[in-house]
Amino acid sequence: MPSHRIIIDTDPGVDDAFTFLLALASPEIKLEALTTTQGNVTLEKATHNALSILELGRASHIPVAAGSMYPLVQPLRASAYVHGESGIGNSRLPAPQAKPVPQHAVDFLIEKGLAEPNELSIFPIGPLTNIAMAIRKEPRFAKAVKELVIMGGAIQESGNMTPQAEFNIFVDPHAAHIVFHAGIPITLIPLDVTHKCLLKREHVDRILKIHSPISRFIRDTMEVYLSASYEKGFEGSALHDPLTLATLIAPELLTLKEYYVDVDISGGVSMGKTFADVFAITKKPANMKVAMNVRGDDFVELFVQRMEALAKSIPE
Amino acid sequence: MNPKRILIDTDPGIDDSLAILLALASPELSLEGLSVVHGNCSLEQAVINGLSILELANADHIPLSRGCELPLVQPSLLAPETHGGTGLGYAKLPKPQSKPIRQHGCDFLIEKIMSNPGEITLVAIGPLTNIALAIRQEPRIVNALKELIIMGGAIRHEGNTTALAEFNTYVDPHAAHIVYHAGIPTTLVPLDVSYQCILTKPDVDRLLQIDSLLTRFIADTTRFYMEFHDEYQGVEGCVINDPLALALTFAPELCDYQNLPVDVDISSGVSLGKTFADFYNYTKQPANMKVALGVRSRDFIELFLERMEKLARSFKDSASEGINMVKQNR
Repeated sequence: MPSHRIIIDTDPGVDDAFTFLLALASPEIKLEALTTTQGNVTLEKATHNALSILELGRASHIPVAAGSMYPLVQPLRASAYVHGESGIGNSRLPAPQAKPVPQHAVDFLIEKGLAEPNELSIFPIGPLTNIAMAIRKEPRFAKAVKELVIMGGAIQESGNMTPQAEFNIFVDPHAAHIVFHAGIPITLIPLDVTHKCLLKREHVDRILKIHSPISRFIRDTMEVYLSASYEKGFEGSALHDPLTLATLIAPELLTLKEYYVDVDISGGVSMGKTFADVFAITKKPANMKVAMNVRGDDFVELFVQRMEALAKSIPE
Repeated sequence: MNPKRILIDTDPGIDDSLAILLALASPELSLEGLSVVHGNCSLEQAVINGLSILELANADHIPLSRGCELPLVQPSLLAPETHGGTGLGYAKLPKPQSKPIRQHGCDFLIEKIMSNPGEITLVAIGPLTNIALAIRQEPRIVNALKELIIMGGAIRHEGNTTALAEFNTYVDPHAAHIVYHAGIPTTLVPLDVSYQCILTKPDVDRLLQIDSLLTRFIADTTRFYMEFHDEYQGVEGCVINDPLALALTFAPELCDYQNLPVDVDISSGVSLGKTFADFYNYTKQPANMKVALGVRSRDFIELFLERMEKLARSFKDSASEGINMVKQNR
């Protein structure tokens, strides 16, 4: 019986897709739903991709709720460069048979959260628009959520959108500000740790030894993602979003510190910068746990093993 | 002529109450519902006040929905010094018998607007949180709304909350930013015009010549408001911002307008919440709203007083005859 019930709030996205597959491959986790948002791609593509990837993982019974089309205050931007035009690299998944549920993701999250207080953890791995809207629309939502495990921010590490700001936070910094200060227990997985978890060509080749649509999907998505990573000087592609699941399946790999964390929304050159008050200069109490270190190679090995197992269970 | 179908998004609020009463007193309008938001007082209190005012005017058949209790990004800011602890000054209304509908204010707005495309005029007289969230949850309302009339901002006029910023906009500047740039046909009613519309003590005495719950409510609620305006702003009488915005739904000729590109500062400096217009088109942006910059203020006050007198008389009559004008009008 899986002990951890989660909803992933997502903008798939290559590493988002890997996160769903890792959740499906992990007996410790029960994936209850996906809620989608714009980010790596438009909302429409994000929802389409979410449904397709669930079907690829033989999990089309899992509901998908479509959410926010725009960031709260900032203009829309999408990172086709990193994730390919479709958001999932060069993979060509068949059009999904399933449809999203009629409910808006914000209302879906509120209803699920309030129906079972303190039962569900939410894993936001895209911009935080949906979560922020749920918090403002239904103030009881913040108390009902067990935990948020957020992929976002860059504490000591450089940003990947501006010199200072990480993508998910930069796309909707106001939403991040709302979520960070809502009083929900949060674990933050910033670039500081995700940049230590690099999936390389040799890993992809290893998974490809198993003949499965899963292996082919990983190969096809990684083509675009890897070349974007090489261009930036990385030796592989960071498993940003899947690393959030380490909090459930391999917490011993992460070093977590409790900090007061804030995000700059003042509109200057630091817009979207996530910072931690490590020396307690602001005297504000900690509002989250932040992953500051990770045994990256061990996590990548775990990821590859789980993908191999999933690929074996879904043969050609 | 069919009455104009309106919704009011409101944080009642002394002048909000007067705007709701003006809507009920105006045969040109069909008030189809209220969505309530934090602002002049807490959401909880604003909901109670909204229900009480509808009951005072025998209009409790009009649906009222609860909206947002906090601004989007900024911390909560209420205005007890302006509107009193209960939000209605010295007025004491009985506890309402009716309840808000179950639907959230945002969902109520979305459903009403989407099921009546091109039909609904929305009058926003509080912070814009509900409307901003509704736009982000259902972007199609932008094209389905007929018109949005916003009481807010201070273009050339000084602010009433900071030196630069007007209250509704300052309380949730991020929401204002969303709404201003959404592409809805918008009319802005800033302090530039509302601060010329002053209800005076002699005006209230004139209403009090009709003895009714309604006129006594107006006297009690505005007495506090007048004390505030005197103490803080040196204004004799009280500024009735929100009823002016409401009146423009059926009497647009009360104001003079200019089409302008308008923006709000959300950069967290001393200008946070400042609403400004690009009169000389430095930014090369197209106009995003119609801004009321001139008003025939005494005509407006006279219209307001006449409508309140008529509403008060209709209650006097209905008390004996068992009917009321509001329901007849429907």
